[in-house]
Amino acid sequence: MTLLKLSNLSDLAAALQAQGYRVVAPIQDDAVVRLRSWRPGDTVRIAALPVNSPKDFLFPRCEAIGRYVLDRDGFTSEDLPARAEKTVLLGIRPCDVAALAGLDSVFAWGYPDKFYGERRAATTIVSLVCPSADDDCFCTSVGGAPDSTVGADAMLRLCNGGTAMTFASMTEKGKALDAVFGQFSSPGEAAVDPVAEVPVLFNSEVVTDWCSKSFESTVWRTLGLACLGCGACAFMCPACHCFDIQDESTDAQVDRLRNWDSCGFSQFTLHASGHNPRPDQPARWRQRMMHKFRYFKERFGRVACTGCGRCGRLCPTGMAISDVCREIARAEEVR
Amino acid sequence: MEIATKLRADAAALLGDGRVKLVIGYAARGARRVPVFISEAPKVEVLMWDATCRQNLAAYLSKPDLKTLRPVAIVASPPVMRSLVVLASEAQIEDGSVVILGLDESGYHGILDLGKTVELLNAVCKGQGLDREILGRLEQIRGMSPQERAAFWASEFAKCTRCYACRAACPACYCARCIVEKNVPQWISTAAAAHGNFAWNIIRAFHVAGRCTSCGACQAACPQGIPLMLLNVGVTESVETEFGIRAGFDPDAKPAIGSYSLEDKEDFIR
Repeated sequence: MTLLKLSNLSDLAAALQAQGYRVVAPIQDDAVVRLRSWRPGDTVRIAALPVNSPKDFLFPRCEAIGRYVLDRDGFTSEDLPARAEKTVLLGIRPCDVAALAGLDSVFAWGYPDKFYGERRAATTIVSLVCPSADDDCFCTSVGGAPDSTVGADAMLRLCNGGTAMTFASMTEKGKALDAVFGQFSSPGEAAVDPVAEVPVLFNSEVVTDWCSKSFESTVWRTLGLACLGCGACAFMCPACHCFDIQDESTDAQVDRLRNWDSCGFSQFTLHASGHNPRPDQPARWRQRMMHKFRYFKERFGRVACTGCGRCGRLCPTGMAISDVCREIARAEEVR
Repeated sequence: MEIATKLRADAAALLGDGRVKLVIGYAARGARRVPVFISEAPKVEVLMWDATCRQNLAAYLSKPDLKTLRPVAIVASPPVMRSLVVLASEAQIEDGSVVILGLDESGYHGILDLGKTVELLNAVCKGQGLDREILGRLEQIRGMSPQERAAFWASEFAKCTRCYACRAACPACYCARCIVEKNVPQWISTAAAAHGNFAWNIIRAFHVAGRCTSCGACQAACPQGIPLMLLNVGVTESVETEFGIRAGFDPDAKPAIGSYSLEDKEDFIR
């Protein structure tokens, strides 16, 4: 068995970078651990769940997807290339990897989105068997597992009390990293660390069924009152993918931007006429739940929630989607 | 324990005889403290309060869905009370439409009207200074060269995803249509990139200048951990020095930015 010491992670990142990869990893950034491009001097915190999700690097929060160059007589349109850097997502948790499958479906739906697609094709996912869960984690309730290998190109697993890791490549992209990982590994005994224990909090089938028949439920009203209507949950969610198109201009050009958007915002469905088909926060919360557990499942065969728990950890009012699901499932089971 | 018992009794009485339509307070969900909205007296049993109930519930008063549910009672510790005083001074609370269930770590103060709340606030925390740790960091930042300072804020604002949680959590941010969403013309770039992020964060801080009570709700809400309180406390300190105004103690105070006096200093115009 060959082992990679955690103390070698920076050297490994540097070696990957030398091979032309952008290395995105959980990095200590002041008080938080954030997924970002590794730079020399950064400390990789492989075992920590980062505050943001890998969606940031495939579907960035803001991106120019077209340009019109203005001249005296009109304009000429310019195709913008996808900035698809060769990237390694290093140490990504199985919940975050699972979310990428949903994004893959959305951005290939109808027509292939070149910006997402080219970036995705240039990305290698080196995931990490999840070593620790907190009270907000619930991957096992939505079809995931802390040691799931689904969607990963290669897998890391902590061993010997978190001091070293094993590396196993599963796909062509993963195998392309064998040599670099091998360079920083040495033979040794591996006692693998335990996998995170993630109790099942609810049955997501029950939640989907309930959503299918509960458009008019009074539950939405209760939930909606507490929601402040910010986009923290949607923006930090690895699976949320709604966006807005905005044209922003100078005297010389117009950039067509794709920005993240959230169904929680009051303007999300506001029509130019002033009519809003989702007129209040309860209607918007219903959409959030319905999209994740009903509509997305109907269309793509999986729920748009992978149990990472960020919405619960980061919501300013503590509205965890797992709490909502748990209450729905409990009420259904009593019925 | 005693706080919760008295609080529940008052909340039940207010709902029971129809003095309020709704009670906004806190409940425990595991280790979390979450807001609760109670419209029936028998349901007050979930109400609780301890020092970990930090969400500023005053932010709910201006949400469109809750504005129609007045008269409302709100569980308020001093930071929430100060926000209520600001809302009152800005004519956002009609007389008698908000009942205050006042409490702090010393205990439960009962059902308060605005006058009693102001008395309590002035007795309890008028003399409190601004957060020393934040003032210390501000001192460091002010000691930086302009280039260093710009780089510091550029790196902080680079984290902003424009989720507007800071705005949503702030009791003083209640504009029906925020400037960042006005697009004819578009004043602020919507892109979560350097230019628009600078504009958004600075404008947010300036719009609450002299109105911010330093409750910390914006920073607590920020999923990216941007130190917004550095901006708020810096601006609050300036408003206090230049205009002698500290928001949230006087419901009759004229807001620093929304009022004009011939005595205003003009020494910045040269």
